[in-house]
Amino acid sequence: MVDTPFANAPLVPATNDAAPLLDVRGLSVSFGHGPAAVRLVDNVSFAVGAGERVALVGESGSGKSVTAQALMRLNPHMQVSGVVQIGGCNLVALSDKEMTAERGASIGMVFQDPMSSLDPLMTIGDQVAETLRLRGVSAAAARARALRVLDELRVDRAAERLAAYPHEFSGGMRQRVVIAMALIGEPKVLIADEPTTALDVRVQERVLDLLYSVSKERGLAVLLITHDMGIVAGFADRVMVMYAGRIIEQNDVEPLFASPRHPYTQGLLGAIPRIDQKREQLQSIPGAPPTPFTRPPGCHFNPRCAMAMEICRKDYPAMIETGSARVACHIHGGGHA
Amino acid sequence: MAARVETAAAPARRRLLPYFALHEWLVFLTVAFLVLMALVGPALAPSGIYRSNILNALAPPSAEHWFGTDDQGRDVLWRVVAGAQISLLSSILIVVLYSLIGVAVATAATLGPRWLDEVIMRGTDIGLALPGLVVALGFAAALGPSIQSGIIAMALTGWPMTARLLRTTMRQTMEQPFVDGARALGVSPARLMLTHVLPNSLDVLIVKWAGDINNTLLILASLSFIGVGAQPPSPEWGAMISAGRSTMSTAWWAVAAPGAAVAVTAIAFGFLGDILQARRDPSLRKR
Amino acid sequence: MLEIRGLSKSFRSAAGTSVQVLRDINFTVRPGQIAGLVGESGSGKSTVIRCALGLQRPDSGSVSYDGIDVHAARGPQLMRFRREVQPVFQDPYASLNPRMTVERLIDEGLRVHRLLPDAAARRDRVVELLEMVGLDASAMPRHPRAFSGGQRQRIAIARALAIGPRLLICDEPVSALDVSVQAQVINLLQEMQERLNLAILFVAHDLAVVRHICSEVAVLERGVIVESGKSDEVLGTSQYPYTRALLEAVPIADPLEARRRRCARLSVAASPGGNGYE
Repeated sequence: MVDTPFANAPLVPATNDAAPLLDVRGLSVSFGHGPAAVRLVDNVSFAVGAGERVALVGESGSGKSVTAQALMRLNPHMQVSGVVQIGGCNLVALSDKEMTAERGASIGMVFQDPMSSLDPLMTIGDQVAETLRLRGVSAAAARARALRVLDELRVDRAAERLAAYPHEFSGGMRQRVVIAMALIGEPKVLIADEPTTALDVRVQERVLDLLYSVSKERGLAVLLITHDMGIVAGFADRVMVMYAGRIIEQNDVEPLFASPRHPYTQGLLGAIPRIDQKREQLQSIPGAPPTPFTRPPGCHFNPRCAMAMEICRKDYPAMIETGSARVACHIHGGGHA
Repeated sequence: MAARVETAAAPARRRLLPYFALHEWLVFLTVAFLVLMALVGPALAPSGIYRSNILNALAPPSAEHWFGTDDQGRDVLWRVVAGAQISLLSSILIVVLYSLIGVAVATAATLGPRWLDEVIMRGTDIGLALPGLVVALGFAAALGPSIQSGIIAMALTGWPMTARLLRTTMRQTMEQPFVDGARALGVSPARLMLTHVLPNSLDVLIVKWAGDINNTLLILASLSFIGVGAQPPSPEWGAMISAGRSTMSTAWWAVAAPGAAVAVTAIAFGFLGDILQARRDPSLRKR
Repeated sequence: MLEIRGLSKSFRSAAGTSVQVLRDINFTVRPGQIAGLVGESGSGKSTVIRCALGLQRPDSGSVSYDGIDVHAARGPQLMRFRREVQPVFQDPYASLNPRMTVERLIDEGLRVHRLLPDAAARRDRVVELLEMVGLDASAMPRHPRAFSGGQRQRIAIARALAIGPRLLICDEPVSALDVSVQAQVINLLQEMQERLNLAILFVAHDLAVVRHICSEVAVLERGVIVESGKSDEVLGTSQYPYTRALLEAVPIADPLEARRRRCARLSVAASPGGNGYE
């Protein structure tokens, strides 16, 4: 199999003018009822086009993983509102049974820990083929498809290894199997939640390269959820930064790294040591990210922000759009949300 | 990491509010009532319950004697109430005693050299393989039949399960980084055990205790029933059942009342153990 | 100051076979220096740490601290080692005894080594330490669970610093923390190092963090130190294949550079014969 020559890839990805594959509007997620209810994700909107790789970056408590779970409707205790449109179909409005059919068919998911996503007592072949078998595909056909997907993900000697069990695989190979499970139903959208956090850097790089190639070749929309700005820079076309349940900045990857606008994004980029350059001192953001119970009024970032003004303590800033960038910060003008 | 923190948030809040279902309250109230009965029962009981009054023997339940009288004419209800002290407090004492032995043994196995651990664990294997009742029976018979020898016998035979469970937990605690940290700080072995390892391991026993009391109560009653535990005229429940056995066909109440007391107590403590277990282990939480 | 010489260690696996985890490790930490040890998971980093702290006995080789043979030391010698060498562990959720208050956590070392017999003086020292790591006296009666990961790591550092150690052994001290908090803890460690003239052995898998904080570094590959030297050289211009491979796989927060690297990788993978994948 020969890869597409990526050297020719345009520096700035062509914006997808056609209707996006995944269109999320006003997504909010909360837990619990009445006064004990807590809002984990607050009015999040974004879109991912075919073949586009979008990263959702955030720290713990930012709501990034909750967003992923809400898109997949994995947690029955979550109250999800808003619109999640995939191919003309609003996932939020589906019945549980219809949603089960959509999972794997239109939207697939890869989790952080490959070992816990795999059944230790089932062969690799059976697990990868399972999605198809549940849809009534014959055993032989499902097996053939499983083999093809594993080949595509460059699992060596895939035919022999269909009969192997997860413990016989290395961490990186297991994650490929998990990706194969997510891809075998030919979804249009793949959500990858910290897919490489448990892996060593060299394996991480290979797994990300694979995801990159697959998304190019299949025109797959990928939503990568991560806390690692380095991974974002190498993988995504577009980046959304999430803080305390909201998206606070959104931009194409290059302008975002070259000129971050939100003080939080600036702080994050200043806080990571770089292997390729020496920094005297890391810029640090004081304090810690708030939990969903301790989000301050106004802009949720204001207690940690060096540039906070009076209005930041009172009103949540509206999202302002300038060019490719969207940012929710009073420094950049605009009113309150 | 992130996912764990985010999704854990909501259940964590729920746990802060003590929430008990109706049946859980029922169990708590029953246990509280039983313990209260054991503490003040004998003081409230009329003095007649230890004296024979043959003229009034085997009277059926009536307004005066709710659960009737036994073959010596003593009020069965009050004997059951007074017997709670012997049955329940003895069981609790036994559990406390053998837990202390278990803690000592588990500590020795955890701290000691590997061979000592091996010896102790094989010892507990043997202890667990033997039927507890039979061994306690042998001990009690050798010490002479009395409630004291029943207690001693059961304290000496009850510890292996506790020791084994605690040793497993202590081994896990020993592998926690904070134990490494304490060792690197130069903390002495005794202090390491008392302030770091035991406080973080004993949780597992608190749950076990409730279940153990239920078990112990049954064995103690069995010993008395067989005749090597409490002796008549003691109102220990097992002894009462044993004494009432000969007249069971005519006076069922003399057996039924202490029998019901044993059953209710055993069930209440058994449920208490389950509730504590479920509270401690989030994976068993249904909500 | 800390000298590890010819350290080897193997473990017996469940199947009964012996697995060599460390082979002939030689490593030195000099006074006032931050020395790094990097390796992937399974490289034996934590075994090195446990041996260096005297918590685990090596099969052969020695660890000596300032003339004290750590694995043979007894009594006052051992207590001196314990007082002068302190660990900071990776997971601040597991490295603090959940049953102890912050005050007890920090003053435990003072009690154990009988450094400040007077309770009021101990209390003052705890407050001073808390302020030094960016917390305050209000933390004292609370338990670790009341704090965020970054705050817990500060408490762990205060606990380690309480008895005035000369060497800190840090096992992945920031890898469990949020990105914005990692920088705080790294800066705190650097500041403490300068202020107290500490030596630090910094063990981590994150090459960028190690390069940032360490002056010297050794690279551990499956239980063997394959390269060591100045960190700017080893983690900058090293030509040793393993180190090179690690360095090239470190994600860089620069989209243009990352794109250039990926193109290079994928063109190798796609070229005939060159299979970049295992």
